[in-house]
Amino acid sequence: MTTTTPEAGPARIGPARFGVRGWARRLAPRPALLAASTAAVAVALIPLVYLAVRTAEAGVGRLGAQLWTGRVGLLAARSLGLAAVVTTACVVLGVATAWLVTRTDLPGRRFFAVLAALPLAVPTYIAAFAWVSTVDRLEGFWPAALVLTLCSYPYVFLPVAAALKGADPAQEEVSRSLGRGGWRTFTDVTLRQIRPATAAGALLVALYVLADFGAVSILRTDTFTRAIFVAFDLGFDRTGALVLSSVLVALTVLLLAGETATRRRGARYARLGGARRPAARLRLGPAHWPALAALLAVAALALGVPAVSLARRLLSGVSRPGALAEVAAAAGNSLGLSLAGAALTMLLALPLGLLTARAPGPLATALDRLAYLAHALPGVVIGLSLIFFGITVARPLYQTSWLLALAYATLFLPLAVAAVAGAAGQAPPGLEEVARSLGRGPLAVLRTVTLPLTLPGIGAGAALVFLTGMKELPATLLLRPTGTDTLATELWTATSVGAYAAAAPYAALLVAISALPTWWLVARGGLLDKEDR
Amino acid sequence: MLTSGRSAERPSSELKEYTVPVPARRPLAAVAAAGLLSFGLVACGSGGDDAGDPGKPGDKTITVYSGRNETLVKPLLDRFSEQTGITVKTRYATTAQLAAQLVEEGDNSPADAFFAQDAGALGAVAKRGMFAPLPAADLEKVPQTFRSRTGQWVGVSARSRVLAYNADTVPAAELPRSVFELTDPKWKGKIGLAPTNASFQAFVTAIRVQHGDQKAKDFLAGLKANEPQIRDNNVKIVEDVDNGTIPVGLVNHYYLGEVAKEKGTTPDGLKVKLHFFPGGDTGALVNVAGVGVLKRSAEDPDTKAFVDFLLNPESQRYFAEQTFEYPVVTGVAAPAGVPPLADLDTPDIDLNDLDTLDVTIKMITESGLVP
Amino acid sequence: MSEVVLAGVGKRYGPVTALDGVDLTVPAGALTAVLGPSGCGKTTLLRCLAGFERLDAGTIRVDGREVAGPGRHLPAHRRRIAVVPQEGALFPHLSVAANIAYGLDRAARRGDRVDEVLALVGLAGYGDRMPHQLSGGQQQRVAVARALAPRPSLVLLDEPFSALDAGLRAGLRHDIREALRTDGATAVLVTHDQGEALSVADRVAVLRSGRVVQADSPTALYREPADEWVAGFVGDAVLLPAVASGDTARTPLGTLPIIGAAHGPVTVLVRPEQLRLTAAAGGAAVTATVLRHDFHGHDALVALRLADGTRVTARIWDEADPVPVGAEVGVHVDGRARAWPAAPNPTPVPTPALPVG
Repeated sequence: MTTTTPEAGPARIGPARFGVRGWARRLAPRPALLAASTAAVAVALIPLVYLAVRTAEAGVGRLGAQLWTGRVGLLAARSLGLAAVVTTACVVLGVATAWLVTRTDLPGRRFFAVLAALPLAVPTYIAAFAWVSTVDRLEGFWPAALVLTLCSYPYVFLPVAAALKGADPAQEEVSRSLGRGGWRTFTDVTLRQIRPATAAGALLVALYVLADFGAVSILRTDTFTRAIFVAFDLGFDRTGALVLSSVLVALTVLLLAGETATRRRGARYARLGGARRPAARLRLGPAHWPALAALLAVAALALGVPAVSLARRLLSGVSRPGALAEVAAAAGNSLGLSLAGAALTMLLALPLGLLTARAPGPLATALDRLAYLAHALPGVVIGLSLIFFGITVARPLYQTSWLLALAYATLFLPLAVAAVAGAAGQAPPGLEEVARSLGRGPLAVLRTVTLPLTLPGIGAGAALVFLTGMKELPATLLLRPTGTDTLATELWTATSVGAYAAAAPYAALLVAISALPTWWLVARGGLLDKEDR
Repeated sequence: MLTSGRSAERPSSELKEYTVPVPARRPLAAVAAAGLLSFGLVACGSGGDDAGDPGKPGDKTITVYSGRNETLVKPLLDRFSEQTGITVKTRYATTAQLAAQLVEEGDNSPADAFFAQDAGALGAVAKRGMFAPLPAADLEKVPQTFRSRTGQWVGVSARSRVLAYNADTVPAAELPRSVFELTDPKWKGKIGLAPTNASFQAFVTAIRVQHGDQKAKDFLAGLKANEPQIRDNNVKIVEDVDNGTIPVGLVNHYYLGEVAKEKGTTPDGLKVKLHFFPGGDTGALVNVAGVGVLKRSAEDPDTKAFVDFLLNPESQRYFAEQTFEYPVVTGVAAPAGVPPLADLDTPDIDLNDLDTLDVTIKMITESGLVP
Repeated sequence: MSEVVLAGVGKRYGPVTALDGVDLTVPAGALTAVLGPSGCGKTTLLRCLAGFERLDAGTIRVDGREVAGPGRHLPAHRRRIAVVPQEGALFPHLSVAANIAYGLDRAARRGDRVDEVLALVGLAGYGDRMPHQLSGGQQQRVAVARALAPRPSLVLLDEPFSALDAGLRAGLRHDIREALRTDGATAVLVTHDQGEALSVADRVAVLRSGRVVQADSPTALYREPADEWVAGFVGDAVLLPAVASGDTARTPLGTLPIIGAAHGPVTVLVRPEQLRLTAAAGGAAVTATVLRHDFHGHDALVALRLADGTRVTARIWDEADPVPVGAEVGVHVDGRARAWPAAPNPTPVPTPALPVG
């Protein structure tokens, strides 16, 4: 019947056929997802709005006077330097550990996988404090870099280990078959395969270092965040502190730009689909002795030092923590607040993560990057901004658990978004199309297909937000409901009067509770699976 | 992303094989549900959720922002609730953070009273016009130098600046007669300082009031040149002096008591000893911790009861016995082991004159003692 | 059972025109194959039908109801057009039964429709399995059952057999065609495999460069392809220059009867199986030299050089010993040839290429 020939066909379709609506759709696919993502990012940007308002109040003159000084330049250089050193060290340590536990026949590698992730459960203020009380006169840049590295290398280890576990071994085999040796295959193929995961982890470490206050204050390294805290302490100078904070935002933008650049290049190496077949494990032979020694040494430094120090404090002091009921109440509050923070964060992160995975494009990227902006701001700035928000906009929320949960969401949104986007990116979009073709509306598809498939990512994000929330102190102090103590605030209360023995149980409980989601993250990455060969 | 790499691309349609993370278990949903549940418990159970509401006058509940440490003042506040039946909701944080929080909250603050670690913070909030004048009856219990001239805040306990020294490494004979001697090169690397501490700042302001800005500037420059050991707070200085890491340190006198408590001993049992500068030296400045009442609660009988309580003899004795501070109400004995306040040769300075903190801050910042 | 009509359907991706005015009628209750080489736009056509993509031009009607057209885009979930993707795409978190019940409403889920379609695809009793416990072929059967379950207006099959072993493919193909037919479904099968299209479909539409070149029954398509390109795409073709006069044409293979009538220079199509070889030269038969002999089991392809140098291929059933290479044979042509006016620049004939020495 319809046999068309080129000459008889209808007019060729030109760009003129795209209406305005067509372009709008192209720019903004998935309007509902986009609207929800924009709302989530708006929440994450509350602190920036606040900063802008307060900085504008300060006036250009003050801004210039305060920022255009050698001291600010020095602080910025030191903050960036610390971030660079720690990030580099974390990448080396994280990638090496991940490779050892996923790609070699190292004895006890599952045990070491857990050990390598556990430092996530140790807040930097506890680790730094442990180091200071173990080694006399430990202070300055390099000790701070050491402690921060030991606390934050799991941020690189976990995603890289998961990527190594899932990477397609065929590429490596091809490389070997083409005559590249083991080391060159590692540098030319394996490292490239895991580059996106490494870059993502490195960005988290860098932002974590920028925002860290605990380690740098205890180890007396003057970074930007410490300067901001000092500005608050010095004569209650809110404006000055906030003006300094705007520099941190600028530094964050710098880091984000760097990571975005690597990501663009790295995306090409992203794995498509999954490998059914695990990579062959390298036989270490006698080399497993130095490898074991190195991993044990890192674990001893990262976990042993805090553990021994806590135990010693617990035994040597005489101050005693409150009754068991008080400790339990603090633990309950920590648990409840962190879970609420994780729940709210995941709620906000979900649309943005799905948008990034399902409708990638400049708009999704822009929203994703914006979500990171507040991530490196010190907790005290986040705290004040939400006080401002609570007092002026959301009065009924003020000094309720919800506002604190919102603060956690603001601080930790990027952790959650990345986890969701990663999981959603692995689920083939074809499944959602099939579901739609079977007559289910967008919401039903979300509920019955997308969410169940993204659940592992949601879980990983929630675990990460949860344990980061457990450790958070400055924003918690400012925003917690009056009269609500958490493990972190009780720890602060005790240590600021030198009641270390009283503080120790809170610290131990904090680390112990945080260790559970950490364990789960390790298991979730498949690092505890029994191998088929 | 921690598990999958965030840039995992969408599989192309040509892809024949793919793996989908199969959620094998349901517990996650259960955990999430449990989380929300327990959160609901936190929200409702702690009574925290209505903390944002400014209480009504006379509702037997007050909200106190306490810059003083919970360990130190909670027993006192508990006693207040026991005696009066008034519930105290207390927000603990650093004095500086709470001052910033109060200023940010402005007139909407749910706080009834601000219990601050030092007079400077009280002055900063008072300057914003956020405090209500206190009743004369309360003010008159306290010497003029320890309260606001306009009656906006009142000191409740006093502390003296001292030089803490390690009795093993520093013979009493070598102790300086004046704080200004610490700029002498013989103290190089031997002095512990907490320049971010409000008490230190008040002390620098006192130098400016007593001796002029130039002298203060020279003193800070001299200290800086002597490469002092900077610490975050007074407790750390006292600990380090006690363990011999630092020979001497500028602190408030009562920290000795706190450190002794943690070590399970009395101040006498420590290596660290206190040196009160003689002769009205600025180094012996006496400062206060105090309280101010927010305007909103000017007429609240419960808040008034709280201020009354802090100034009654029993509470004053608590400060002397439990926190090693000086009572400010006359007729209450000084803490054991330190000379009575009346015997101290304190400099002739009115705390109200220490309200030019911003100049001091600028000076300390420029001295390079802080980041 | 619904008739689906596409008229002037166009779709562009940036500068690339994927569909360039597709006209196609999918008859109700039949299986229509959309056949085309890679990149011809057949997957885009399927996605436009399903509602995953918006049209840039043209309309799509299902039973007279416009589901896509200027200013109109009925979302995928309201079209009642079910998709069976290439890779099956079973929901990994749902059992087989739950996968099949996915498109059913609450009431239908309680009925026996799930068991009915499972039986239809030959997997009765598999309802409790999880997708990863099934073989690739079984997964595809479930995917078809899932698409059939809600009795959609149209079932779209996107190269559903391409990921399977050749051995499995034929059986599955047959079973699925039977399942579709038993259920009375209207279906569109997108494929690049002409054997699959011809053997399974009731109608075949050949798509090239975003246009439907021909849509016909498999036999008509094979015997009377619209042009040389189609001729070559749907099967092995012997294309010969010829001169026609009325219902015959003079070709290197002799004067052959042609379908229809033509005059002047033409190109004629003869299928290799129309060529018959005789042992010896003689009589009216054209003679040729055997160049090569490819044995295929069920038949054999013999490459020949005619006396005038023209090369042709014959498909023969090799009953005895193969014809030796270099032997002289006689060539007869059975049936009629298809003739087109000779084009000055004929379209290059695509694969499968003629296996001519």
